[in-house]
Amino acid sequence: MKVSFFETARYQAPQPLPAEWPVPSGSYDPEAGARAYRGMIERLELVEALGFDWVSVSEHHYSPRILTPSPIVSAAFLAAHLKKIKLALLGPIVPQSNPVRVAEEIAMLDTMAQGRLIVGLLRGTSNESLTYDLNPAEARERTDEGMELVLKAWTEPQPFGWQGRHYRYRTISIWPRPLQQPYPPTFALGTSRESCEFAARHRLGCGVSYGSFEGVARATRYYRERCAYYGWQPSPDQILYRANMLLAETDDEAQDALRALPNQAPFTMRPGVRDAMMAVDARNIAGEARAPVVSGALPTTFVGSPDTVVEQVRQCRDVVGAGVLDLSLHPPGSSGIEPLLRALELFGKKVLPRIRDI
Amino acid sequence: MADTAFREAHVEADGFRIRYMQAGTGAPLVHLHGAGGLRLSPAHELLARQFRVIALEMPGFGASPVNTRTESMPEMASTIVRAIDKLGLDSFNLMGTSFGGKAALWVALQATSRVPALVLEAPAAIRQEGAAPPSGTPEEIARRLYAHPERVSAPPIDPAARAKAQPLVHRLLGPNRDADLESRLPELSTPTLVLFGTLDGVIAPAMGRIYKDLLPNCHLVFVYDAAHAISTDRPEAFTEVVVDFLERHEAFVISRAETVIHP
Repeated sequence: MKVSFFETARYQAPQPLPAEWPVPSGSYDPEAGARAYRGMIERLELVEALGFDWVSVSEHHYSPRILTPSPIVSAAFLAAHLKKIKLALLGPIVPQSNPVRVAEEIAMLDTMAQGRLIVGLLRGTSNESLTYDLNPAEARERTDEGMELVLKAWTEPQPFGWQGRHYRYRTISIWPRPLQQPYPPTFALGTSRESCEFAARHRLGCGVSYGSFEGVARATRYYRERCAYYGWQPSPDQILYRANMLLAETDDEAQDALRALPNQAPFTMRPGVRDAMMAVDARNIAGEARAPVVSGALPTTFVGSPDTVVEQVRQCRDVVGAGVLDLSLHPPGSSGIEPLLRALELFGKKVLPRIRDI
Repeated sequence: MADTAFREAHVEADGFRIRYMQAGTGAPLVHLHGAGGLRLSPAHELLARQFRVIALEMPGFGASPVNTRTESMPEMASTIVRAIDKLGLDSFNLMGTSFGGKAALWVALQATSRVPALVLEAPAAIRQEGAAPPSGTPEEIARRLYAHPERVSAPPIDPAARAKAQPLVHRLLGPNRDADLESRLPELSTPTLVLFGTLDGVIAPAMGRIYKDLLPNCHLVFVYDAAHAISTDRPEAFTEVVVDFLERHEAFVISRAETVIHP
């Protein structure tokens, strides 16, 4: 099992914040932001020393919960400070980006970071449609087309035009191209039928997140079926599972911490927006409709002592087929850095060495 | 709006009676069909809003008598040039689809000064190793040709007509890599637009880059979500880029899209 640490910058607000998304920009504290990014580097030096394989960054906007609106900026900053660990961009929200720019920036950073990039391309969470005025009803189609264009931009040796449904370019010919040829290990992120199909058709990895093992396994099973249809089999490294973990010395301690977690997401859209979003933002797991996550807290699927968690990781490998875990040790948005650092040390010493062979 | 209803007519050339379908006014655009024969697509009508579209049926296809005479694609091209002479067209834009793409390249080589611009839709002039034309039942053929079979409006190709033209197609298509043709392409400076659908199941879209390598003034465009029959799968997208290219040639890379939301 490979292990990735999901870095969210852990902004610690000096005073209570409004709970609504978008969180007013005026309540941001620049000093707290600077501390968060300094802390990020200190934490990740520890993460690297503990032997994690990757650090991952994501794209989220308009709130302090995950203070990384530009994953490429985050990854570039980390690449300059960290020496060995791989940098996973999970990832650019494709439908609200310029796919050519995404292809260029990733190629550039992969080269600057000497081939240390991992890439995940995705549609983004429901609220992110509001960030750049994206019509949620078009998000799926824009994602599929944008991902296809990113791959084409990385691989086509001659200048070309793109006559798309949502994107049109007359001339594309990117420089540099990625150092890792033809392109860095790339995942389509999401449980949807469309995402799994895209990953299978292009021989990409499949990344799923947060659901129960059984829930996300429906997507990874479907992905493997589609890979077989296209005549190949993904390696375990091509199935990525992002999840929350609460690790403590004892099961009781971990369960106490779980009970203390809020059951609401820290910043939620106002009900009128949320309900309207639910009506237009169609989501599915391997073709079966699911509700978008718009206000509930994300589940924590690994909870317990090192022994218990090792066993859960084994189950995850068996049920989901995942060969890479992308972990939040203590969910993003939960307060205090100290519990996170304690969990990290504990994970590095008592879990990581025991899950390598799973 | 121009009259975009296609009308059938015939022209005599090289002893062949050649059928063609014509619509629209404006600069002439001669179209050469694929190996399945002449079938009108919605793109023909869209193009006829801006061009005088002349879709020629190469002798031996459709209801015309079996053609055992034409030995090679250059020979077919010279017949086509004579037919175009008979139509009184001095200068004409040229578009070839798949098999017709190879014919169009030979026509352009034979009448270079008369062709202001050339469009190749999923051309079959350069094919990957192991490439084979679609065959089998009409359903099997359709699966290779279309990403959106639900958008096909033309009636299916008559299997008898297809069978009759098959020897001619094999004779004229030549090898997957045709050295005679490829050695001539560097001299063809005609502005050329090569289009491939991202889902082409007949000719690998990666062949597009070879046209870029060989033709001195070639532009390659991928049409997303289209298979081999691009103009049927995505007629509006196909027409938009073709019209833009025929009007502006290489300057078509300069965007004229307006993004002002409100003045």
